Amino acid sequence: MPSAPSRAPRPLAYWVIPQLPTADPLPMDEETETYLELYLDQCAVQDDFVPPRSPLFSPVVPYVYTPNPSNPETTFNSHLESKETSGNFSSVDLSFLPDELTQENKDQAVIRSKHETEENSETQSQQSRLPLPSGQDVGPGSDSSSLSNSRSHLHPGDANSIQSAPAKPNCNSSPLASITPMTPMTPVSECCGIVPQLQNIVSTVNLACKLDLKKIALHAKNAEYNPKRFAAVIMRIREPRTTALIFSSGKMVCTGAKSEEQSRLAARKYARVVQKLGFPARFLDFKIQNMVGSCDVRFSIRLEGLVLTHQQFSSYEPELFPGLIYRMVKPRIVLLIFVSGKVVLTGAKERSEIYEAFENIYPILKGFRKA
Amino acid sequence: MAYQLYRNTTLGNSLQESLDELIQGSLNTYRFCDNVWTFVLNDVEFREVTELIKVDKVKIVACDGKNTGSNTTE
Repeated sequence: MPSAPSRAPRPLAYWVIPQLPTADPLPMDEETETYLELYLDQCAVQDDFVPPRSPLFSPVVPYVYTPNPSNPETTFNSHLESKETSGNFSSVDLSFLPDELTQENKDQAVIRSKHETEENSETQSQQSRLPLPSGQDVGPGSDSSSLSNSRSHLHPGDANSIQSAPAKPNCNSSPLASITPMTPMTPVSECCGIVPQLQNIVSTVNLACKLDLKKIALHAKNAEYNPKRFAAVIMRIREPRTTALIFSSGKMVCTGAKSEEQSRLAARKYARVVQKLGFPARFLDFKIQNMVGSCDVRFSIRLEGLVLTHQQFSSYEPELFPGLIYRMVKPRIVLLIFVSGKVVLTGAKERSEIYEAFENIYPILKGFRKA
Repeated sequence: MAYQLYRNTTLGNSLQESLDELIQGSLNTYRFCDNVWTFVLNDVEFREVTELIKVDKVKIVACDGKNTGSNTTE
């Protein structure tokens, strides 16, 4: 495992993304599309600018949004929370601004200088400052994705009115702010519109009361309980299609949902079932523990080459498992990469980590494209 | 085979085959407790060579057994 770079990339300037209206509950199945539309609208406004890409192991620092919604339990807004911020624009090197499309080499130099400034000025704040992803520094043979980067890192915003601004994209008040790229909520990856799709979400919640599992298994529909095999009731519901493991301590695991909101809704439904059976069930500490996503880069990949050049992160034993296991450091995501070009991403606590990890790996995979 | 099912669920990566059945087929509910399976099916066709029986609701109760599982319908 390589030592983390002493200077992690830090944002220099930020896009401010207007916060999505949290009072307006998005229908679950439209949630992703709404985010995507919002993002793409904003991308279209800023089509000229190309942000540099971050090096792989210090990937793009995720975006920062307007303050968290008043309801802290809204997990699907979790990726809106600020992760890293920096408020110091004074030392921003803007030499990369013009002519992004041919800026690859310059980006490298700019990235380095940016890293230094970023390091100095990093602060955590609730302000929706977006990190400026440092330039691309990907594996060998990576072609320019400067052009493609533009799509994935552009986002208009008002640099000043970061906070609690209504969800309304504003024109940038300064050219500086307008340059700042930002990782969007649903990033378009690298000039191809590949967005990893979430396949599974595992979450836990505490019902905060002791449960009689036998009673639950006997009275609930669609429940299994075999204490000799496993000390929990396995219950399923159809909508959202999920499975829950309910333990006698009152703790519950909910799996199988395809989105954060669905996971939460399903957990609530299970809690209601338990409640209707007569237990004083509550809904404490709902937390998403793992998110799994997958996508297809649509070209074959030379896994051997990848494991040779990224051996600190990769493990590839075709005799054991046909996929290469790539353990990305930042974000801390594990990717299963297959020769066919299919990629599975797992280990995320937030949706943005999945997107970020894919953004990071895609240029690398392009460098190991077969033929 | 039964163990595989539980292995999946303990990992939280259940294929939810039961639910697939629910969605596609006529399985209304299922239950497994004290090593007894109880199924409720809707709109079932029992077909024998000579005759065909259609039923709106079937409850199947099944236990493990070396000799026979017990089945009752209503």
